[in-house]
Amino acid sequence: MTSVIRVPPVALLVVALHTAVLPHLRLFGVGADVMLLAAIAAGLVAGPRQAAWTGFLAGLIADCFTRTPFGLSALTYCLVGYGVGLLRVGVLEMSWWLPTAITFVGSALGVVTFVALGTMMGQEYLWSWRVPMIAGVLALLNMALGPLIVKSIRWALGPVSEPRPVR
Amino acid sequence: MVLLFLVLLSLTFITLDFRGDGGGITGGLRHGVESFFSPIQSLVGAVVEPIGNAFSGITDYGALEDENARLKDRIADLERRAAVGDDVRKELADALALQDLSFVGSIPTVSARVVSTPVSNFEQVIELDKGSDKGIDVGMPVVTAAGLAGRVTEVTSHRSRVQLLSDSTSAVGVLLPTSNERGAAEGEGTDRDLVIDFIEPEVKVASGEVVVTSGVGGSFPPGIPVGNVAHSKAVPGELQRSVTLRLSADLARLNMVKVLQWKPQR
Repeated sequence: MTSVIRVPPVALLVVALHTAVLPHLRLFGVGADVMLLAAIAAGLVAGPRQAAWTGFLAGLIADCFTRTPFGLSALTYCLVGYGVGLLRVGVLEMSWWLPTAITFVGSALGVVTFVALGTMMGQEYLWSWRVPMIAGVLALLNMALGPLIVKSIRWALGPVSEPRPVR
Repeated sequence: MVLLFLVLLSLTFITLDFRGDGGGITGGLRHGVESFFSPIQSLVGAVVEPIGNAFSGITDYGALEDENARLKDRIADLERRAAVGDDVRKELADALALQDLSFVGSIPTVSARVVSTPVSNFEQVIELDKGSDKGIDVGMPVVTAAGLAGRVTEVTSHRSRVQLLSDSTSAVGVLLPTSNERGAAEGEGTDRDLVIDFIEPEVKVASGEVVVTSGVGGSFPPGIPVGNVAHSKAVPGELQRSVTLRLSADLARLNMVKVLQWKPQR
């Protein structure tokens, strides 16, 4: 019940960051992807199932603001969130640096997956020499934003039982 | 099981989007969400832009000592005010410059403000605060005082989306007036010069030469300044000359633009 009340303001915050704040704060022309970060954060705090849902919904909203096929971001973020959630479940002890490292790698993989899936769907323009640079810079920016988003997602989802392996 | 369901749902959306060609259910969803978030986007964007500028200014000073906290706050306050002042001055200058566009000729225009910068890292698309209720339609060219910036790709009643020339799927027919040679300038992404294709290797092209729209293809009216030749060289064995084009319009700092009420001739 708590999460029903808490999710909307956090969702609004994340969308406002994505559409109005982060596009102004770019490094080498690359901005952070807070919708992808939300999926990763859900994976870190709530496990694969909730992360897949969070990634899917965040991706659908992200798809509304781009011209890439509607559902491409949803598919990508859902897969990344699920993957991060699985990784979280598989790790026995979370070192202090591990969430940061997972955020970095997850973000970079998210960009590569988005481009790869998009290219498979005929969006060849997504692939360019800049993709590795975009992946790297975006991962760095997401890493910097990580603590804020992880805290927000943890607060929104409420007390979550420790993730267990999915069978 | 959840993952499989969501993957299938995503693929269903993608299929619907392809079948509806951007319209249909997915198009409706897009417009609905955009319309809902547009006011928030405008409001937050207007607040954030000057703060972002001031923030950048502060970070340039490097680390400050604790005892200078009061001074730091004062500097931050002054820079925030200065950033706001700069924005207002720039907007006014842009608006004034747009009043006298000789290259537009008799084409009617609509002035519009840029309310959203590119959200995606893979697209160069901006949003304007005017839409079909002001006579804007899909395909209309968008210019700044310096020259061509892009074209309208989507329109709702109060908003329109513009694909900038730097977008990697953008192409514009161009003319090199000195040699009267025609080519096609294609976008290469953020902060990158455009590449001009179809220029014969033997054609002489000087760096700095002005490039205008050719009107070929009917997507843009002829004679609008696009930019200047940045580099030009004949590559042995290639069937065309390697020519890059630096845009006249500063696409990274778009503020006020004009939409030409000119319908593509197709």
